Amino acid sequence: MCFIYFVVMCFFSIVSFFMSLNFMILDYELMLEFEVMSINSCGILMTFLFDWISLLFMSFVLFISSMVILYSDEYMLGDMFLNRFIVLVCLFVLSMMLLIVSPNLISILLGWDGLGLVSYCLVVYYQNIKSYNAGMITALSNRVGDVALLMSIAWMVNYGGFNYIYYVDVSKMDYEMGLISWLVVLAAMTKSAQIPFSSWLPAAMAAPTPVSSLVHSSTLVTAGVYLLIRFNFALSDNLMWFLLFVGSLTMFMAGLGANYEFDLKKIIALSTLSQLGLMMSILALGEYKLAYFHLLTHALFKALLFMCAGCVIHNLNNCQDIRFMGGLVMQLPLTCTYFIVSNLSLCGLPFLAGFYSKDLILEVLSMNYLNLYIYLVFFLSTGLTVCYTFRLIYYVVVGDFNYLSINMVKDSSFIMLKGMMGLIFFVIMGGSMLVWLMFSTPYFICLPFMMKIMALIVSLLGGWVGYELSQFSLTSSLSSLNWLESSVFFSSMWNMPFIFTFGMNYYPLILGKKIYMMIDQGWSEHLGSQNIYFNMKNSSKFFQIMYNNNLKIFLLLTFLWVIFMFLYI
Amino acid sequence: MASLPTGLVSHTRRVQSLYKKALRCLESWYDRREVYRYHAVLMRKRFDENKDIRDMRVAKDLIAQGEEEVFQKNHWHPRKFPESPGGVAYERVVIPPDWMVDHWHPLEKAQYPTYFAKREELKKKFVDEWTKKYGKPSPIAH
Repeated sequence: MCFIYFVVMCFFSIVSFFMSLNFMILDYELMLEFEVMSINSCGILMTFLFDWISLLFMSFVLFISSMVILYSDEYMLGDMFLNRFIVLVCLFVLSMMLLIVSPNLISILLGWDGLGLVSYCLVVYYQNIKSYNAGMITALSNRVGDVALLMSIAWMVNYGGFNYIYYVDVSKMDYEMGLISWLVVLAAMTKSAQIPFSSWLPAAMAAPTPVSSLVHSSTLVTAGVYLLIRFNFALSDNLMWFLLFVGSLTMFMAGLGANYEFDLKKIIALSTLSQLGLMMSILALGEYKLAYFHLLTHALFKALLFMCAGCVIHNLNNCQDIRFMGGLVMQLPLTCTYFIVSNLSLCGLPFLAGFYSKDLILEVLSMNYLNLYIYLVFFLSTGLTVCYTFRLIYYVVVGDFNYLSINMVKDSSFIMLKGMMGLIFFVIMGGSMLVWLMFSTPYFICLPFMMKIMALIVSLLGGWVGYELSQFSLTSSLSSLNWLESSVFFSSMWNMPFIFTFGMNYYPLILGKKIYMMIDQGWSEHLGSQNIYFNMKNSSKFFQIMYNNNLKIFLLLTFLWVIFMFLYI
Repeated sequence: MASLPTGLVSHTRRVQSLYKKALRCLESWYDRREVYRYHAVLMRKRFDENKDIRDMRVAKDLIAQGEEEVFQKNHWHPRKFPESPGGVAYERVVIPPDWMVDHWHPLEKAQYPTYFAKREELKKKFVDEWTKKYGKPSPIAH
C-alpha cells in the first residue's frame, strides 16, 4: 500500500514541479473559482490560486511525503495500525495542499484546522502518557492560532470578502484592517512555534519518526511561514519589528537549547525551531523570497536528517538518547553518511543545499542597517547551529558504541535507505538548483572583507566549541554540572514549558476559583436564584392573603382612608 | 519503581538505595563508560569512608545530606532505557488483555459466532481442568 501512495505522490510532485517552472518562466498565475452553491444570488465560491510559489511548495511537500511514506513501510513494519497511520499522513498532505492553494481565509482555515487535527492524531499515535501530554500541548497551542485566524475571518466581514489576496496591498494603510495582519501573525507564530508557543514542537517528538520527518520539520511548521509569505505585503513596520524580535529570539533560544539536549529527536526539533526563527526574521526584514528559499532547502535537509535519526532509532530498538549511541559509523555507514551530509547542509557547508539560503540570508542581513543586537543574535545562532551539529555528530557517529553489549545494529533496512536516497540528491543539489531558478537576477552583495567572512568565522568557532564541549576525558570537570542552574535553564528552553503551561494555568485557575466563590456561588446566588425565589414566594404569599377578601383588610383600608382624609382636610 | 512508604525502611536499605541512585545519577552525567567507572569508584570511596560509623545520629545526618546532594545534582534529562518507566517508548504499544473480549456487547459477539462458541468451550474446559487439578474452591466466607 505504501508503494502505491509513493508512486502517486511522486507523480503529482513531478507534475507540479514542472508546472511551477512553466508558471515561473511565463510569470503566470492561475485562479480557479468554483461555485459550490448559490442562494438568493449569494454565491459561495471555492477559489484556488496556482502560481509558482504554491506549485513549487506543493511539489516539495508531495515529494517529501512520498519519500516518507516509502520509508514508513519499513519503519512502521509490524505496527498494528499501519493503515491508520498511512491514512493520517495522506489526510495531512491533503490539508496542506488546501492550505497552499487557498487565496481565501476560510479555505485556509479549513486546511489549517485539518493540519492541527491531523497533527494531534499523529502525535498521539503511540498511546502512552507521554504522547497524550505532548498531543494535548500541541493541540492547545495550535488552537490559539486557529482562534486568531477565526477572529481575522470575522473581522474580514467588514470588508466584504474573504479573499485576502485582494486586500493584502491596501491593508497596511488602514489601522483597523491592520488588525487582520496582527491576528494572522499570531496564528503563524503558533503554527511555526515562535517564542511564547515554542514548547509544543519538542514535545511533538513523541510522534513516530516519519511523522516528525514530514510534519514537524519540513511542512506543517512551515505553514505559518508560508502564510506570512503570502501576507507579507500586509505587514506594517511595527509588526515587522515585532516579528523580527520574536523570530531572532526563538532562533537563539532554540540553538542554545539544542546544545543541552540529549534526546536525538528533540535536538533536531530544536534545530528546526532555530531555522524557523531564521525564516521568520528574514521575512520580517522584508525578504520574503529568501524566507521561501530557506523554507524549501530546510524542508529537504531536515526531512533527511529526521529520516536518518529514525533509522538510528529503529536500529537501536526505539532508543533515542544520544548517550547510548556512538561509533555508529562502523555499524550504519550509509545512514551515517546521509546524516553527516544533511547535518553539514544544515550548518551551511559550501555548495550543499543549506549554504545557498543561509549564506544569502546572512549577507543580506549584513547589508542592512540594523542594530548590534540583531547582528549578534543572527551570527551567534549560526555559530550555535554548527556547535550542536558537531556535538550531535560527536555523540552519534564517532567514538565508542555505548548501548547494550549484545546488539544487532546494521544497515540492512533497504526500504528506509531507498527513501533516504531519494532525498540525498536534493540535499546536495537542491540549493544550487533553486537559487538558479528563483533568483534570475543575482543579489548584489557588497560587504567589507571581515563581514563577508564572518559567517565562516562563527561557523568554525561554533564547530570548535561544539567539539570541545562534548569531549571530555577522565579528569576534566563537567561544565554543565558546575553550572547546573544555567544548564537547567537553557535546556528547558528558558523555562518556557513551565511558564506557558503551569504559569498560564495557575493564576487564571485561582481567579476562576475566586469568581466561582464570590460571584457564581456568592452574590449571584444570593441576589439571583435564591433571593428571587424567596421574594417571589413572599409576595405570592402576600397576594394570597389579599385574595382572601378578609374583613380586616377592608377595615384597615377604611381606617387608612379616614386618616388620609383628616390629614388633607 | 518507587515503592510506597508502607513500612519502616531500615538504615541499610536507605544507604543502598542512595548508592544506587547516586550511580544512576553519575551515569546520566558521565556518558563515556570509562569516565563513568572512574567517578563510580570515587563515589564508592565516599560511601566506604563512612561505613564504620556506629553513631546513628551521625549516620542519619550523613544520609540526609547524601539524599539532598543527589536531589540537587539530578540530571535534567536522566538516562533511561527506552522501554523502562520514564523512557520514551514506555507503554508505547498497548496490548489489551484477553478478558476485554468478554466485555463485548452481545451484538458485537454475535458477529463472530464461531469464535465465541469456541471461546466459551475453551473457558469451560479450562475451569474443568483447574477443578480437576486443585479441587473445587472453598466458598468464600463473608
